[in-house]
Amino acid sequence: MFFYTVKRLAIAVPTFIAVLLITFTLTVISPFDPVAMMMTQFEGTLDTLAKEEVIERIRDQYGLNDSYWVQFSRWIGRLMQGDLGISINGQRNVLRMIVKTFPISFQLGLAGAVVTTILGIPLGCIAALKQNTWIDYTIVGGTLGFRTVPVFVLAPLLLVLFVLVLDIMRVPRGWDGLFQSKVVLPVFILALGPLPVVVRQTRAAVLEVFSMDYVRTAKMKGLHMWRIILRHILRNALIPVVTTLGFIAEGLIVGSIFLDSIFAIPGFGGVAEAGFRGFDYPVIMGVTMVSAVMIILTNLIVDLVYPFLDPRIKIE
Amino acid sequence: MSESSENVSNENLGEQLAGEAAVRTRSLWKDAVGRLLRNRLSIIGLIITLFLIISALFGPYIAPYSYTEQDLLNVAKMPSPDHWLGTDEIGRDLFSRVLWGARTATLVAIFTTFISVIIGVIVGAIAGYGGALADNITGRIIDIVMSVPGLLLAALIAVSIKEPVVTWAENIYDTTGFPLFADTTWLDLLVVFGGLAFVSWPGYARLIRGQIFSLREEQYIEAAKSVGVSELKIALRHLLPNAIGPVIVTLTFSFSSAMVLESSLSYLGIGVQPPQASWGNMIASNIGSWSYRPWLVAVPALTLAIVTLGINFLGDGLNDALNPRSKRSI
Repeated sequence: MFFYTVKRLAIAVPTFIAVLLITFTLTVISPFDPVAMMMTQFEGTLDTLAKEEVIERIRDQYGLNDSYWVQFSRWIGRLMQGDLGISINGQRNVLRMIVKTFPISFQLGLAGAVVTTILGIPLGCIAALKQNTWIDYTIVGGTLGFRTVPVFVLAPLLLVLFVLVLDIMRVPRGWDGLFQSKVVLPVFILALGPLPVVVRQTRAAVLEVFSMDYVRTAKMKGLHMWRIILRHILRNALIPVVTTLGFIAEGLIVGSIFLDSIFAIPGFGGVAEAGFRGFDYPVIMGVTMVSAVMIILTNLIVDLVYPFLDPRIKIE
Repeated sequence: MSESSENVSNENLGEQLAGEAAVRTRSLWKDAVGRLLRNRLSIIGLIITLFLIISALFGPYIAPYSYTEQDLLNVAKMPSPDHWLGTDEIGRDLFSRVLWGARTATLVAIFTTFISVIIGVIVGAIAGYGGALADNITGRIIDIVMSVPGLLLAALIAVSIKEPVVTWAENIYDTTGFPLFADTTWLDLLVVFGGLAFVSWPGYARLIRGQIFSLREEQYIEAAKSVGVSELKIALRHLLPNAIGPVIVTLTFSFSSAMVLESSLSYLGIGVQPPQASWGNMIASNIGSWSYRPWLVAVPALTLAIVTLGINFLGDGLNDALNPRSKRSI
């Protein structure tokens, strides 16, 4: 087990470093110049001749004239100390922006993941048990629809439907903690994104388990159908669903980018959206890296937990 | 005498077999079309996809107004006989803009899919044929690209390459004076293609690699190899036709996801810039006023939802039709 963990870590760490390399390279080719940004506040106070010299001096001082690899390692060093830079719009500490908003998004994401699981597993089971009937087609086809319909399409349509047409709720805005009625719609929308993955995975797993000898034996013994499902099928079918956690995490992160501003939730996604809209490089880089860490970590945890759930997986 | 007759009969047998094979191949595709047309959802998907293609090709000729034409006396009006879907926040005809948006979405989806298929096939072939080391390296690269959410990576790339691409085009325009490079609208599209293609090729690379590895184990490939058919010929004659089914299915799905990604980028203000019409930027510019001008958000949103649904239904139908054995397994 120890070696397996080390091996998994040995894969996760270089992956993350490569992500850092891509992010850094992109900002090197990008138009963002921190010194030019700094100079804008001295506009008019320096005459043009000295300005070039001052810029050169500052560039030297901050090491911006060093080679790519020197800059990259210095940047990594700063990251290690938790320095993600200062945002261009508003001059705020990027790490602090993320730390402040992340817990809110994490709670929403967790709630979304729970709802996805609670909805997805029964739906997947039903679809499998009613394989190739209209019920199966409706469940699979219906959830399939949400696989690509993005949050910024779904959210306004559902708002129009629930608030304007059906008039059954007030406009849900803001964040006062997780256990508030206004959280219901955002969480539901978040949960719909990864739902089809869970449904399909459960359906396929149940179908596979269904053909196993022990299920046939249980059936022949005359066990009740629901008992077979709970005791024999679900336990084994749940295992593959765990592997979809990485997808779920990605769906939740991307979903929150659009969701936060629509529902005025002060979350991680809102920081990302504002960063993109304002072409705010330090924010964009910070958000991308934190998201990559989340997904790599989720996949790592899945890899580490999986052998415990499924004894058939042998750890080399 | 007896030998020659044996030869003749062998030839006949060969012809017969070839004939049978030909009939079989045709009936496989016929079967697939039959299965596709029997599925009601995929018929709906097919109709929606056809509508999209027609709007993309002929939209500008069908559209009653131009996508920039403003009618300042009729700003944000509800649907009327003059403006079938109403007018937007600065008095442009919504129906015309939705049609122009169809062209943007289709253009981006076609180019992105095309570029990422090419990259994916090349990388997949390297992984499949290049030996264990090449397979490992490409596998790691794919893992890295896939560990960042596609939308975030595409957005980061689009934001970063935008300035360089524009400067590059300006330089070319300055030196050559070629009028094409003075126009910046297609540069926006180019930037979006770049970002999207970069995040969508890994899917194809994995698919092609998987196909190469699984088909290589098939007996007919082994038979072809043992009679000395060259690798290239095996790839073109045997691997390609057998892998084409899954590739078509993936193409359909990634077509709709490219469309969604384009809308998402445009929604975030990174992709297609106004006044160019994209369903994404149409939603973005009206999302704040959904409660008192709901149709301005609902029309582009519903269009995008219906189109992606339709294409996905078609993809699902194609999956059942082309890979009947792997029915609905993810």
